[in-house]
Amino acid sequence: MRNRASNTLSKGKIRQSWSKYNLYNMQRFRSPPTTNRTFFQQKWSAKAASRAYHGEQVREGQWKRMFNHRIRSVIPMNASDLAADDGSLVSSGRGSGLDQDGKPAYQTRPTPYTHMTFAPLERRLDVAIFRALFASSARQARQFVIHGAVTVNGQTMKHPSYLLNPGDLFQVEPDRVLYATGHTKTPFERRQGRLSRRRAKLDKSDEVEAASEVEAESKEPAKEDAKETQKEDTKETLKALLAQAKSVMSTGKNTLAPQRKQELRGFQQAVRRVLSRSESSTVLADSLEAQFSQLTLLLKAKRAEKPVKKDVKPRPEDAFAYAERDAEVASSKADTEVTASDKLSDAFAQATLGNEVDASELSDEEFDTLKRALTQMRDNPLDNSKTYSTPWQPRQYMSAFAFIPRYLEVNQNICAAVYLRHPVARPGSAEVPTPFGESIATPAYGWYLRRRW
Amino acid sequence: MPPRIQSRSVSNTLLPYLTANSSSSSTLPSLPSLSSTSSQCLSRQFSATAAPQGQTKLRRQMFEWLNNEGAGFKHHLPGETNYLTRLKQRGPEGSEKPRPFPNNPSFFSEPVLSEELRNEVYNRVVEQKKSVRIVSVELGIDMKRIAAVVRLVELEKRQRAQGKPLALPYARAIHEMVPTTPLAEQGERQTYHEPINDLPAHPLTGSQIFYPVPESRSFNRVEAGRVFSGAPAMEHSEAAAISHPSDLAEKILEDPNSIGWVGKGANARQILQPADVRIPHPHMVALERDRLAHPNERLAVADLQSKRLERQDAIEQARRERVQARREKKLTVVSPEDSRFDYRIKDTIYTTETTGTDGRGSKAVGRRYGVPHRDRTRGEVKIPTRVEA
Repeated sequence: MRNRASNTLSKGKIRQSWSKYNLYNMQRFRSPPTTNRTFFQQKWSAKAASRAYHGEQVREGQWKRMFNHRIRSVIPMNASDLAADDGSLVSSGRGSGLDQDGKPAYQTRPTPYTHMTFAPLERRLDVAIFRALFASSARQARQFVIHGAVTVNGQTMKHPSYLLNPGDLFQVEPDRVLYATGHTKTPFERRQGRLSRRRAKLDKSDEVEAASEVEAESKEPAKEDAKETQKEDTKETLKALLAQAKSVMSTGKNTLAPQRKQELRGFQQAVRRVLSRSESSTVLADSLEAQFSQLTLLLKAKRAEKPVKKDVKPRPEDAFAYAERDAEVASSKADTEVTASDKLSDAFAQATLGNEVDASELSDEEFDTLKRALTQMRDNPLDNSKTYSTPWQPRQYMSAFAFIPRYLEVNQNICAAVYLRHPVARPGSAEVPTPFGESIATPAYGWYLRRRW
Repeated sequence: MPPRIQSRSVSNTLLPYLTANSSSSSTLPSLPSLSSTSSQCLSRQFSATAAPQGQTKLRRQMFEWLNNEGAGFKHHLPGETNYLTRLKQRGPEGSEKPRPFPNNPSFFSEPVLSEELRNEVYNRVVEQKKSVRIVSVELGIDMKRIAAVVRLVELEKRQRAQGKPLALPYARAIHEMVPTTPLAEQGERQTYHEPINDLPAHPLTGSQIFYPVPESRSFNRVEAGRVFSGAPAMEHSEAAAISHPSDLAEKILEDPNSIGWVGKGANARQILQPADVRIPHPHMVALERDRLAHPNERLAVADLQSKRLERQDAIEQARRERVQARREKKLTVVSPEDSRFDYRIKDTIYTTETTGTDGRGSKAVGRRYGVPHRDRTRGEVKIPTRVEA
């Protein structure tokens, strides 16, 4: 199907998309005038405007078959009102309740039924993926489905027009979601990705040739070296690591992106180097807590004597502000395990029992910094092999479009969502997300009603 | 149109990247500083109007807006929404719900469950083994949503255990952009996430009916439901037995077949029940009635309510088991030892409901002579209509 859904400025149509063109169009959109125009013309232009947004990828005939003039609505009931009155109060007098000082007994806001005209389209799989914020446009969501990145109830579903049933669970590959919602790569990053891919290719071919020779030779001297040098350079390593962690965590917007990436990469490598000294070979793949305790153990770091709790609030403009909150989430998630701080103290206890000389003393803040940098490295790593800019950041202008309608329950961690029920209207609000007001919704509904009376 | 002679500076403006990158090593350092207007003048000597400067008017206006008013939308503000309606809001921010679309006053960005609240729901349902109904009332979350949350958290745990990739930074960013319902602190009251007693508007209630009733007579919801569904009025003795419409909820819970029917054959339909029966939590009305009747006996009322809920759960559980047993009775499962598959064998039913009156209906299973397979019929849509969970 040809994509006609371009964000042209001259037409100024609103689309299901997060682009900045669309944001601008949405901001300047005005309802078409009604004076001196026939009803047909009014309905036509209302239909044209709303169909450009709702199911632009659906053929008109297909949509006409889906349209239903009956619209689902609910009324929230108050249990105490129901208990107080069996309904005879509302029907008393001449049938519509007795007025209480000029006001009717029950006041309700009007239900915006015509805003729900396009509710059947919200059942479509591609639209639901867009609504769950897994894709940056309905077209992209459609592509994800066609390319086999979406499952419904655990089975791959390749039809974007699949109509979800209440209770259906759909899931998109997390990498696709991160690509759709993240920053695009800069030319510099793309080049880095290319280079790393090339390097990996070379390494592979080298390994095959020289794997057996290197293994036998390098084992013994490396171990001896590690033991000797460890004592000497722990202090320096820790200092350097901390400095790096600090610079990684503190850089805001004003530093250049490539420089920040270099810092990050440096830190990543430094941590790997330190961890590779440990005896157990599984540390690099272990959980964050284990890694952190191992790191502190190896460096024989010790917390300073005054354990003053200090909450370091991240600056909102800091691009890495997530890291600290991530740490909180991570620690709260480990509910069955021992908490991170316990592990830390255990590690310190072990270090002191070993009767080693205290290599260094760290303040709480420094510990936090180190931990935060580690958390970020685990959850949001720098990885040029990805299709999006790393560390992941939300794409620009995304927040203006970020909302999740009530008929979906979304779990962002695994990029899965459940279609709970069909969207409904209720007094004062409608659940179908539509950028148009009543002056467009009602004529558009009228357009599709024709020959149906 | 004959080819125009281009000055060197024009080619320079066409390749801004080249000049920007090689400006330090360029042999002509003055080139980038040449203004584009002069180059335009050189290339279009015959035109009197000012040439567009590489951009249409609309594009220029858009970037102007994006750089000034729209600059705030580029990045999100953690903890608050950042919608277009922010531009029109002058003065202090009201307590109104956030609206993403400036032209649509009846669509709101509703809060989503926070991570902690989601885990709390899972904890109460799976670990504390509370019923979905009770958790729904405690936390103010729709029962369908609770079921979905349990399912999703379960899936998340499984994926974490399997070491599958997660989108943690993405989740964090979304929860910063979208309003969330937090989990209440210890000892505080939980804010309700959404209305839990939504009454679906029944299509029968859409019609306007003129139904004369004497002013001296009270006309309640039970009678209104009968009028809407076209059922005759109740006998006086029958009506007198119902003191309040919520009495019917108890009765229907025990015996769902006690709902009467109107019409014949294909037009037969159940009589429309009052709102007290059709809401998701009818027991809340009963609780309120108890509270009204015994305002000073809070403990006794709470005790009565917990007993009522227990009874309701037991009845629903028994019914579910009965249905399950009936289904299993009709089904034979054969699972061979060396097979990847289970075979579920059901008796075929050939009645007019399945095969149709002419015996050619498509619902019935099996091959019948003269009836083409559904795949082979013309105009058959192959897109699945449901996926079994």
